[in-house]
Amino acid sequence: MNAFFASVEQQSNPHLRGKPIAVIGAAKRTVITTSSYEARAFGVKTGMNTWEAKQKCPEIIFVVGNNRKYTYTSTQIIKIMREYTPLVEVSSIDEAFLDVTGCLSLFGSPERIAYLIKARIKHQFGITCSIGIAQNKLLAKLASDMQKPDGLTIIKPEDVTRVLERVPIKDLCGIGSKMNQYLTKFGIRTCGDLGRFPIDILKRRFGIIGERLHFMGMGIDDSPVIPDEEAAEVKSVGHSMTLEKDVTDRTDILMYLLQLSEMVGRRARKYRVAGKTITLTIRYTDFTTFGKQESQSRHINNSEDIYQAAVKILDSLVLTQPIRLLGVKISSLQYYTEQLPLFPEERKKALIAGAMDSVNNKFGDFSVTFGSLLGEDRGSKVISPAWRPEGIRNVEVE
Amino acid sequence: MQRVKERIRVAAIFAPGSKIKPVWFEWRRQKHTVKELSYFWKDHVGDETRLHFAVTDGINLFELVYNAFDQSWNLEGIEGEQ
Repeated sequence: MNAFFASVEQQSNPHLRGKPIAVIGAAKRTVITTSSYEARAFGVKTGMNTWEAKQKCPEIIFVVGNNRKYTYTSTQIIKIMREYTPLVEVSSIDEAFLDVTGCLSLFGSPERIAYLIKARIKHQFGITCSIGIAQNKLLAKLASDMQKPDGLTIIKPEDVTRVLERVPIKDLCGIGSKMNQYLTKFGIRTCGDLGRFPIDILKRRFGIIGERLHFMGMGIDDSPVIPDEEAAEVKSVGHSMTLEKDVTDRTDILMYLLQLSEMVGRRARKYRVAGKTITLTIRYTDFTTFGKQESQSRHINNSEDIYQAAVKILDSLVLTQPIRLLGVKISSLQYYTEQLPLFPEERKKALIAGAMDSVNNKFGDFSVTFGSLLGEDRGSKVISPAWRPEGIRNVEVE
Repeated sequence: MQRVKERIRVAAIFAPGSKIKPVWFEWRRQKHTVKELSYFWKDHVGDETRLHFAVTDGINLFELVYNAFDQSWNLEGIEGEQ
């Protein structure tokens, strides 16, 4: 999707159409999540502070994002895609891969399918997308980035070498800024350079990745389109949050840990998983980020158990700076079927959690919760990159 | 958008295919005719399904919410001169 959140907001509010806008979070110290193409023309970029954006574009209009609007829109768009092929791999809230090989006899050419999808998205939501068509995911992604907004780019098999010859390696999905720097030191600047570079040197320097890099340079990618239902089982359930302000006070930290533990526990119980490893992630004011994990004697998903384990990890740390972000995660997951614990105390805890979950399922998350969490607006406020329209990764956002 | 969260009276067309189109609504004793339904989305709070409609009367932008659980209409928010 093109400038997805900003496009949705411009469509929602006719007064914003054609104007430079940026979608921001509701928190005080928010950054720009997405900006419209009109704002991008002034140099406004994702991740900028609001004052930086204002400097670049004094006319910019800030819009507080509405995550539910975006997750709904994304889910509907994915439904449209699935009408053409069941092989849809959702890679983020605004990006997906479709394998249309098996449905060409039904719908005609890939180009026709692309135009139909674009037309339906435009008709239903008034927003545009860019589509890339090629023989594999690597090239399709590259093609989709070549023409924005509202593009349709086809890289035909016979054109791959010619197209890649001048494409900078940083444009390839999977080559980040660090890898780009490394490769530039070898004199590799374009995909053409990368494809020609001796594979043995790449393998010596980057190991197994070296071989993959070589193939990427030649436009070869054999990774299949994996629909959600065939994707590997999730390995962890976690939540993190950037705090309203940096905190040092233990009571404040514990309150956030309890909230995160409840979010993790509730999602784990909903999808019937329990974890044996608990990880606490902390980010300091200076953005130094670290995590510490601890194995438990048994698999847990009760919010209170997760909280106690997170507190134990916290108490084993010597904090040297105020905390900017906290995260709690359970991993080493085990799927289970409902079974009440044998011991009375554990049984009581499970029954309480079950009762709380029932109420929250009926009336919404945090309708009934721990006393220390009352009074504030709780819940996930950010759409995680791992968000998916269904399943355990479908995190309800505020 | 300024939050309002007030129950309102809405005239809407319930068309086949579960399509709902607000036509006009009353808020603070004033009738607003919907000029454009600019966006629609759905969400859930517990058991409740809520249908959100971003509509304009040509001057202001309103967010109307139809709660399918208790069949009520709310004016969620307003943006504009008022």
